Amino acid sequence: MSALPRRIIKETQRLMAEPVPGISAVPDEHNARYFHVVVAGPEGSPFDGGVFKLELFLPEEYPMSAPKVRFMTKIYHPNIDKLGRICLDILKDKWSPALQIRTVLLSIQALLSAPNPDDPLANDVAEQWKVNETEAIKTARDWTRLYAMQ
Amino acid sequence: MGLCICRDWILKKRDSVSSQRDLDNDHPRSTRDPQLESQLRRSLRIHRNAFRAMRSNAMLPEGDHVIDHLVLDTPNMIRTYLDFGTQLPPSMIRIHAFAETERGWIYVIKSMIKNIPIENPLGSAAILLLLDECPIPTKESVNKLTSRLNLKNSSIKSSKALIRHRNICVMLGSLAERLAGPNSIAILTPTVLKYLLSNLNTKNNPLIILFSLIALEKFAQTSENKLTIHKRIQSLPENPLLILEKWIDDPDYDRQQVGFCAQWSLDNIFIHEDRPFSYENVDRKNLNVLLNANDVSEYLKISPNGLIARCDSASFESVRCTFQVDEGIWYYEVTIITSGVMQIGFATKSSRFLNHEGHGIGDDEYSIAYDGCRQLIWHEAHPYQFKHGSWKQGDILGCLLDLVNLKIIFSLNGVAMPPVNHVFQNAVKGFFAGASLMSFQECIFNFGREPFKYPPSGINFKCFNDYANPTEEEKIIYPRFIILKNLHKSSLRDDCCTLCCENVADIMLLPCRHDGFCFKCANMLELCPMCRLCIDERVQQESAVAEEDDSNEAMNPEHNDTSTPIEQDLH
Repeated sequence: MSALPRRIIKETQRLMAEPVPGISAVPDEHNARYFHVVVAGPEGSPFDGGVFKLELFLPEEYPMSAPKVRFMTKIYHPNIDKLGRICLDILKDKWSPALQIRTVLLSIQALLSAPNPDDPLANDVAEQWKVNETEAIKTARDWTRLYAMQ
Repeated sequence: MGLCICRDWILKKRDSVSSQRDLDNDHPRSTRDPQLESQLRRSLRIHRNAFRAMRSNAMLPEGDHVIDHLVLDTPNMIRTYLDFGTQLPPSMIRIHAFAETERGWIYVIKSMIKNIPIENPLGSAAILLLLDECPIPTKESVNKLTSRLNLKNSSIKSSKALIRHRNICVMLGSLAERLAGPNSIAILTPTVLKYLLSNLNTKNNPLIILFSLIALEKFAQTSENKLTIHKRIQSLPENPLLILEKWIDDPDYDRQQVGFCAQWSLDNIFIHEDRPFSYENVDRKNLNVLLNANDVSEYLKISPNGLIARCDSASFESVRCTFQVDEGIWYYEVTIITSGVMQIGFATKSSRFLNHEGHGIGDDEYSIAYDGCRQLIWHEAHPYQFKHGSWKQGDILGCLLDLVNLKIIFSLNGVAMPPVNHVFQNAVKGFFAGASLMSFQECIFNFGREPFKYPPSGINFKCFNDYANPTEEEKIIYPRFIILKNLHKSSLRDDCCTLCCENVADIMLLPCRHDGFCFKCANMLELCPMCRLCIDERVQQESAVAEEDDSNEAMNPEHNDTSTPIEQDLH
C-alpha cells in the first residue's frame, strides 16, 4: 500500500477505542482503506431488527474527497438503489474534510430513520414511498425480515 | 485506459441500469486509431443489432439465448471496449438489467458458468467484472444457485467439465467477495467448502486448483469463514497449501500461479503455525531493485522477493519499482505469466494509481505502458495500436527507456516495436519501472539480477539492479497484516492538523476564524470544512509554530517540506 495517511490511522484507532452505538466498522486486515461495516436498523424504523452490512472505502484523496460507501445487504429504501448505492448529500457535493468515517456512518443510520423520497436514488421505491407510505413501510419491513435478519 | 468496473464506485453511472437509453446513446470515446475505432463500432453494432432483433420479436424481456450470446461475448467485449473508466458497455448493462429478478440472476450466473471459455485470457476476469455489477442477489437466490450446481468434481475429464468447474470456482470467489458478510457465510455451505478443498488435490487441473485457492481466499474476507476454512485445513492429514506452495518454481506457468497463491495464503491468510513466513527465507543476495511495497495500490500482491506482481481483485492494481532513474539508457524485462490485460512500462511519481477508477500506468501524462493482450501502447489513457499478435504465457516483454535520445522502445521476445516518446513532453526524469494488472494477472520482473533473455543489441544500456543500493531492511516485504498491525499502534501528536493529522495545525481561516488546519490542507480548500463559508484568507497562528517534534519527522519526510515555505513567508 502507499504509505497510510495519519488521518486514517487516527480515525481507525478512535473507531476501535470508542465505537459508535449500533454501528461496527472494522478495517480490513489487509487493506487499511477498506472497512467492513455493520449498521443495526434504528429502533422505530421499518429497518428495526435488521442487521445491514456495508462496505466503506477511503479513496486516495480522502479526506479531501468523500468515502465510498455501499450497502451489501438488500434494503428497500428510497435513497438506496438495488446495487446498494446510497444517495446522501454528504457523500457527494456536501462532503467536507472535517467529516469522518464516524459521522458518515451516523448519517447513514439517520437516513434509515428518515427516508427521503424527494431525493431518490431508487425511483420505483421513492414513488411507492410517496404514493402509499404505509405500503412502502410494510415492504421495507418485509425486506428487512427477509434479507437483514439472520 | 485500464479496465476496472469496480465496486461503486460508479456513482457516475447511477442511471446505468436503464438499459435502452444508454444503449442508444453509448459511444466509446473516440480513439486516435481509426482501425481500433472501427473495430469498436463493429462490436457495438453487433450488440445493438442483437438487441433490436430481439425487441422486434415481441415485447418480451431479454430472451435467454440473447443473454447467452452476450455473456459469451463478454471477454471479447472487454478486450475491445476501452471506455470502462466512464461507463459500462451496453451489453453488460443489459445483462445486469436481466439479472434483476431472481430467475434472471441465476440464469446469468449459470450462463457464465456454461459459456465463458477457458482459453480466453480475459474469461475469468469477465466473470468477476460481470458479477461485480449485477444487482445484489437475495440470500435465497444464492442458496438456490449453490444447491443447483451439483458440486462434485470427481469427473473433471471432458473439456466441458473443465470449463464448468473453472468457472464455478471463479464465480464462487467473486460472490464471496461481492457478498462479504452474512451472505458469504451462507454461501460457504459444508458442500461448497468440501468442494473447494477437494479441488486442491494436486491431481486436478492447475486452473481448477488456482481458482479454488482464490475462492477460499475471498471467502476468508469474512472472518467467520476464515475461521471455518482454517480449521478445516488444519484438520486435514496434510495441509494442501504446503504442498501447493512448492509449485512456485514449477516450469508450468499455471502451476507457478498456484504456487504463488498458495504461498500468499500461507503468509497472509491461512497462517500455518510451524511454517516460517516466506519473507524470513528470501535469498536477497544481489537483490537491489524490487517492486515497492510502499508504492502500490492496496490489492496488488507482491511476492516476498519483491519481483512478482499479481492481482486477484476486481480493481486495476498498480505498482512502481524502488529505484528511480533520471538519465542514461535503462532496460528491464518482464515475464508474462498470464496473458490477460496488464499495462507495463514506466511512470514518474506524479502518475497516480486510481485502482477503483481503472486508471494505472499509461493512463495519465506521467506514464507510458504496453499492454500485449490488447496490443496497445497507452499514454494519457489513449491507446496506440501495434499489430504483432497477443502476448502468450512465458513471453518476455522488454522495456527500454532511453533518456539520452528521449525514446521508449517496447519489445516482445526481442522483436522491437516502433519507438514512442509521448511521455517526454511531460517528464524527462524521475522514472520508475511500473505496471498495472487486471484481475487474475501475474508477471515477473527482472531488473537485471538475472541475465536478460533479449538484451537490446547495439545499445549501451544500464540495468537497474547494478545501480541501486538499498539497505537490508528496505529489501524486506512484510505481509501486509504485520505492517498494518504496527501502523495502528503508532501514536500521533496532539497538535496536528485535524484534516491530515500529519502537520502542525497552525492556520486559521478568515473570515470564519475556524482553525486546526495545516498550511497544506488549508491551501487545498475553498470552503471552510467546519462552516462551508468561502475562505478569503489563511493566516498563521503563532502559538502552534513553537516546537517541532523530531521523532515525528523521521516518519514523515514531507513534514519539513510543507512547513518551511510558510515560515519563510512569515519572516
